[in-house]
Amino acid sequence: MDLSFGFLLEYSGVLFEGLLNTLKFVSLAAVLGLVWGFVLSLGRTSKSSAIYGLTTIYVEFFRGTPVLIQLFWVFFCLPLFLGIELSGFASSIIALTLYSGAIISESFRAALKSIERSQFDACTALGLSAGTRTLFVILPQAVLRAIPNLLSNVVSLFKESALVSAVGMTDLMYVGQNIANNVARPVEILTTVALIYFAIGFPLTRAVTFVEGRLLKVVKA
Amino acid sequence: MNYDFDWFYVKKGLPKLLEGLMVTLELTLWANAIGLVLGFLVALGMLTRIRLITWPLTAYIEFFRCTPALIQLVWFFFCVPILFNVWWSAEFMGILALGLNLAAFNAEAYRASIQSIPTAQTDACTALGLNVVQRIIFVILPQALLLSLPVLITNGIGIFQQSALVALISVQDLMYEGRYLATQTFRPIETLTTVALLYFAVSFPVSQMVTFVERRTSRLLQN
Repeated sequence: MDLSFGFLLEYSGVLFEGLLNTLKFVSLAAVLGLVWGFVLSLGRTSKSSAIYGLTTIYVEFFRGTPVLIQLFWVFFCLPLFLGIELSGFASSIIALTLYSGAIISESFRAALKSIERSQFDACTALGLSAGTRTLFVILPQAVLRAIPNLLSNVVSLFKESALVSAVGMTDLMYVGQNIANNVARPVEILTTVALIYFAIGFPLTRAVTFVEGRLLKVVKA
Repeated sequence: MNYDFDWFYVKKGLPKLLEGLMVTLELTLWANAIGLVLGFLVALGMLTRIRLITWPLTAYIEFFRCTPALIQLVWFFFCVPILFNVWWSAEFMGILALGLNLAAFNAEAYRASIQSIPTAQTDACTALGLNVVQRIIFVILPQALLLSLPVLITNGIGIFQQSALVALISVQDLMYEGRYLATQTFRPIETLTTVALLYFAVSFPVSQMVTFVERRTSRLLQN
């Protein structure tokens, strides 16, 4: 069998556009997911059992089902519920945000729980109000401790984002498969696409490990 | 909203969905079998510190951990037959891709737990006059397995969920049957919700088990 990677140059523009789309999906869904995840984590640490119960069911459900079914559900069913047309872009972003919110909330929750009781006692001793305590003592520490996990959540979001090709979004995966079908050279193209994903996913994963090491020192100090 | 729910077609199609679920479970079990065994072998290889072994293994682990499972699956489906001139079923390719993916993640879990065993244990083995093989099999291994069990189970459910991707390479699993039924009957809400609930019904109890196992193993290790 003969492999030739030369013709790929012709398609480099399209592949690059696909990559940009992938990055657009990931960054948008990551930002929305961080906000949604933080809100959910507040619900998960809430004293009200109704709020706690609802957010727990939500998180468990989104963590316990495949992202693909969530995507299809949003794509096919949500428009029927809402009675409005949802573009493929909108439904992909909604699905990825709902999913990443669930996994991100777990990272925030673990960080919130890891803050020692003595910090709360110290705040009481210093006469700080509940608002000041949450905003200036608990929150900064929680966010700092959550950073490594949040980063790895974003990395997994990056990998899951390849799914949006299944609802016809022209991300890197979709573009790659499309070219592969058209020129009947799957080996070269799919390998290249995999390498592009790797070229982004690998440094990101390494960055997580690096940040984790640095933060451990900061938290300990 | 004014949507008339009609569960007739879901009821009628349920046997087909359950058939799909069996395929999904079969894929999950085989992928887990590969992941558990191969993952351990890879972890052992990584601990040899021989570069000729660790470098290819590192490349394998990082590659499978840092790319989407979907591209791995599609790559196996389209490229393996061309590159190696073999014609295996889509289902087998699915098992292979998912199994190799899981093995990469499991190898890291095994390695982390083996490394977390204090070196004092190794010293104690030397003091007791145990040889290397005895030390690995009877002292290090049981503790490492116990320690990594929660992560191994979590990875295992992860693969159960990722297995839905095989529907995209036309394996007739739960996801595939669900989509087929949804398009055939024009009842996406009822069908896709049922499919999601079926997935949830399998993965939720297992993920709850992880918390239980975690508590038990940490208690065991403390004693």
